[in-house]
Amino acid sequence: MVRNCSPLILKVMKETQAYIERIKRVSRDYQRLELAVDRSLSSLRAGQAILSRRVEKDYEVQHWNPYLRELWFPVEVQDSNIIVIERPAREDFIPGQLLSLIGPVGNPFRFRRKLRNILLLAYETPPGPLLLMLPALLSNQVSVTMILMGSSRAYDTGHLPEEIEILLAEDDLSWPDMVMTLGWADQVFALVGQGNELSYFEQLLQLVRGRRSDVPENYMFGVFQRQLPCGVGACCACMLRARGGAKLQCVDGPAFDLTTLRLD
Amino acid sequence: MAIEITRPGKYSLILSTPVMPAAGTVGFGDDFARLIDYERLGAIVTNPVTLDRWNPASGTRVVSMDAGILLHTGLPNPGLESVLLRYRSVWERLPLPTILHLVGTNIAQIRRAVELADDVDVVAGIELGLADDISRHDAAALVREASMTEKPLLARLPFYECYQLAMPVVDAGADALVVSAAPRGTARDPHTGRLVSGRIYGPLIKPLVLRMVGRLRRDVPAEIPIIGAGGIHAPQDARDFIDAGAVAVQVDTATWAEPKMLERISRDLGGWIATRKKDALMDEWHPDMG
Repeated sequence: MVRNCSPLILKVMKETQAYIERIKRVSRDYQRLELAVDRSLSSLRAGQAILSRRVEKDYEVQHWNPYLRELWFPVEVQDSNIIVIERPAREDFIPGQLLSLIGPVGNPFRFRRKLRNILLLAYETPPGPLLLMLPALLSNQVSVTMILMGSSRAYDTGHLPEEIEILLAEDDLSWPDMVMTLGWADQVFALVGQGNELSYFEQLLQLVRGRRSDVPENYMFGVFQRQLPCGVGACCACMLRARGGAKLQCVDGPAFDLTTLRLD
Repeated sequence: MAIEITRPGKYSLILSTPVMPAAGTVGFGDDFARLIDYERLGAIVTNPVTLDRWNPASGTRVVSMDAGILLHTGLPNPGLESVLLRYRSVWERLPLPTILHLVGTNIAQIRRAVELADDVDVVAGIELGLADDISRHDAAALVREASMTEKPLLARLPFYECYQLAMPVVDAGADALVVSAAPRGTARDPHTGRLVSGRIYGPLIKPLVLRMVGRLRRDVPAEIPIIGAGGIHAPQDARDFIDAGAVAVQVDTATWAEPKMLERISRDLGGWIATRKKDALMDEWHPDMG
């Protein structure tokens, strides 16, 4: 059955203004933007995102390139009104730049109650959307292993917390002690590059299925980071086919149990 | 202010302000209620609905381009009966009329869809979306069937066939023309490297559609209102459509980038039309006035 596009429950979402308070270069390829935001966004949790658009002080001036709002996943929430975004260093930002933000978009990641070991996979994408969960996991004594696969291996991890075990996968997507890592993980979150998400997720799911006796429900989650035209469930451009009906990345996601999605 | 957006008659559709979101922009109901003040708008037009359920398109759905996007969703929807069942109460709560956008590929589907829609009082009008490659004969036949409705019937013309279809559709019983659906195009998806076909949206569509509206306004009988739709991204764009002969406008993807723009265009156009009719000086009205 096809899911109706509109959510039954209205999210606590609104459009607010923010500005870039500080910009820090954290590696050769990435910079972090500290955004002074409305207090309503200070409760953002791992998995939730914002739709951002640069604006001019003069509202009469509108730029339409880029046309759609960009989907930004915070990597850190510092205090009541500062959130941190990681962006490629090649993108131009200046302190004081005004932004229009719509958010929160999506739902927080759901973790198992007795989570002790978590495995994070980043395949053909920087791991940004997975980073906001790290402080909470580490402070709860959860062991975190992150595997960087494909082009994700080029991501410089020097600025990430030292407690995280970071491994680089081989070209065939294997990594050292793979069977042990997968057996030991209580939960897996996989993030893949845009464009071929379904086939990337299928690859990763098969990889895990081949090395575990079973992949139970609520064990392996795929995190989608597709561009969202509307972000509220109206346009249906982010619709996914799933067991029990269609799902929307913007309303039901961004993380979905991979055993419930149709990846064909 | 009262703006009549369909031809005068028993089932005429009158809006308080001549601005509405285009089909496919704000979903089926109140998805945008947190971001847009619906009371500022004239009506909502629902996402396209088919008699039977349609699944989403496979593959790439969105391609970003310079100052625009290509969109190919496949018009997923759960089918008319499910939509009416689920959203009827939502529409009843909305402070503005709901126009149901129907997509039908054959006469039997349209007949059944119109019967179902006619049973729902809160549907204030039907907008019939005509396929891009439809013939004049088929378009007229579908509109003739749809015109059996007890509600005002708007026909949305496909971009490339606008001039050819306008008169046959009017003669078949359309109460208003929506000019037009977004044009189809092809773009390369930078993520997959594949070419993707879909509808094109962005500010550059406006001059193309504006010309169509102007020409159709001369060709189509004056009693048939024209609603301009395409590339509207600012209050002045909407004013241009009114100047070209449209009675109302539909705003599409600008709503996603700037949700407040829809409200702003609505406030501006409503005020501008009201003051223009009273010969008020131009500088007496500003889009951000109440």
